[in-house]
Amino acid sequence: MDKSQGSETGSSASGVKKSPNANPLIALRGVSRVYDDGAIAALTNLDLEIASGHSVAVVGASGSGKSTLVNLLCGIDHPTTGTVLWRGQPVNSQAQWANLRRNQIGIVFQEFNLIPTLSAIENIELALLGRGISSRRRLARAAVMLDRVGMESRMHSRVTSLSGGERQRVGIARALANEPTLLIADEPTGSLDGANTLLIADLMFKLCDDLGMTIVVVTHDEVLASRCVRRIRIKDGTIDAEPDTVTIAPSVACEAELK
Amino acid sequence: MNLFGLASRNLKRRPVRTSLSILGVGLAVGGALALMSLSHSINDSVREGINEMGDDLVVMQKGASDIFGGFILEPMTERVGSVPGVARVAGELFMFAPGANGSNMLTLGWQDNSYLWKQVPLREGRVPASGERAVAVLGDVAAASLGKKLDDTIEIFGVTFKVVGIAGYTSAINRGLVLLPLIDLQIASHRPEQVTMIHVRLDHAATDTARARGAIESLGNLTASIANDVLSKDRNFAILDAVSLAISIVAIVMGAIYVLAALIMATQERTREIGIFAAIGWSKTRIMASIVVEGMLLCIAGSGVGLILSLVSSLAFPYIPAIGNLVSFRPGVALVALTLVVAFVLCLIGSMFPAWRAVQMPPAEALRRT
Repeated sequence: MDKSQGSETGSSASGVKKSPNANPLIALRGVSRVYDDGAIAALTNLDLEIASGHSVAVVGASGSGKSTLVNLLCGIDHPTTGTVLWRGQPVNSQAQWANLRRNQIGIVFQEFNLIPTLSAIENIELALLGRGISSRRRLARAAVMLDRVGMESRMHSRVTSLSGGERQRVGIARALANEPTLLIADEPTGSLDGANTLLIADLMFKLCDDLGMTIVVVTHDEVLASRCVRRIRIKDGTIDAEPDTVTIAPSVACEAELK
Repeated sequence: MNLFGLASRNLKRRPVRTSLSILGVGLAVGGALALMSLSHSINDSVREGINEMGDDLVVMQKGASDIFGGFILEPMTERVGSVPGVARVAGELFMFAPGANGSNMLTLGWQDNSYLWKQVPLREGRVPASGERAVAVLGDVAAASLGKKLDDTIEIFGVTFKVVGIAGYTSAINRGLVLLPLIDLQIASHRPEQVTMIHVRLDHAATDTARARGAIESLGNLTASIANDVLSKDRNFAILDAVSLAISIVAIVMGAIYVLAALIMATQERTREIGIFAAIGWSKTRIMASIVVEGMLLCIAGSGVGLILSLVSSLAFPYIPAIGNLVSFRPGVALVALTLVVAFVLCLIGSMFPAWRAVQMPPAEALRRT
């Protein structure tokens, strides 16, 4: 158990208090990740538990290992040593991870990572493939999600014709389409301007709050990090410290937009 | 949106590459189909031609490498005719003989008294009278391709023959025949007293085919076959079949390589997209399936082009000099089905490799690619 485990209190973006959870949703046990045959140690012997329903900010300097950490948390990278546990069970295979990402984990990327040849709604529909639901229901679900992020009027637009903020809304809608338990956002506002940063942050936290999701956000943005009940600082591949949590209210702009 | 929709969208992204890949598969499938069809058609045409003569048995020189390569002394015809149960026999010399314009024509020489003359389905004119020399009967297609009609003359081996009849056989190969008196062809080709094969009709009331075959072959140095088996011993046809098959396999493998190359390029370009699919929870199997579906769409489109090309070539085939009027070139359903199955299996294998390769990279690494 790392030292940050002792301070799991705080409030969500909307001000709802979260209580500590003894049963972690996801946990890392002695996880290390090295590259180039050990020449580069991105993470070293890291232990971490993230409780269900919490919001966690992962902060740190560039190259500190925070992106590697979130990649391991969502299984798109694998640890060199150590184990990742989901609800106490080790996740050992890529098939297990794919299943988790399909049903339990949503990911929001800094670079949006949308399929450029497809429309907004088609991008979301792709994330619903393989869940045994009909095309009509997939489209309906995708439309609902786009509506929730305020993109209903652009749902049939090709994503290359959308602005950065609009693309990230589509990215959020895609990540939430499967109603995941855990949302992982890797620098979700890193490619956005100031106004869009605020809107996207508000949108993401509000939706997570509405849906009762756990959220892990990697960010350089102190304001964004302060929305989380818990902050983990990564330095040189280890957890350095957990700074105090700062709580702010949702922005007026986002409140207005989401109404 | 499903895997087919996604695959077709991806193919439309690169129209030039997709078109070239489809054309490559099409040429491969069309080429293979045309080659194998041609080989089968030649076999079928010759077989139909022999069958049209109504023989029970065809007697050839034992060990002859092909149907043109064996020679039997003409007097052997009478000895075969004396075998118990043999009703009628007819010696025949046949060869591709040079005509006036340098083209070769399939030319048959029949004895004066041969029953085969009596069976010629004349469309115009007559057959040679007994003892008549330097006359010819042409198949209707041969007459048309040579531009000859009754009373015109043709040249075979530099010898002039007067056209006295036009025959209306039904098989393609017989419609392209030139029929001459045996003695004329023997002299012109410097093969006196030789025949290439002996046609045999049996009296089925007096013998059965197996017994007659045994009795004829016991005369020495002869092989008696039913018409359908004649070509099975022909080395030229065996070589033609083998070469056609080999070239066809090479062609279809090349088609599969087109698919493989196109998909390798496509998956390399779309490494990041494949990482996205993995990140949104697609299993390796689903990602591979999306790539394989793309390959199979190329294969289906290419096979369609190949079928059209082979159809066009079968329609154009009759206009090819020398062979066009001898062979009925028609791709059979079984052959088309076999070629398509082989093409699909090879394209599937060709698609599997880039698909497998694409999912080997960890998603995080794939997402770092531009």
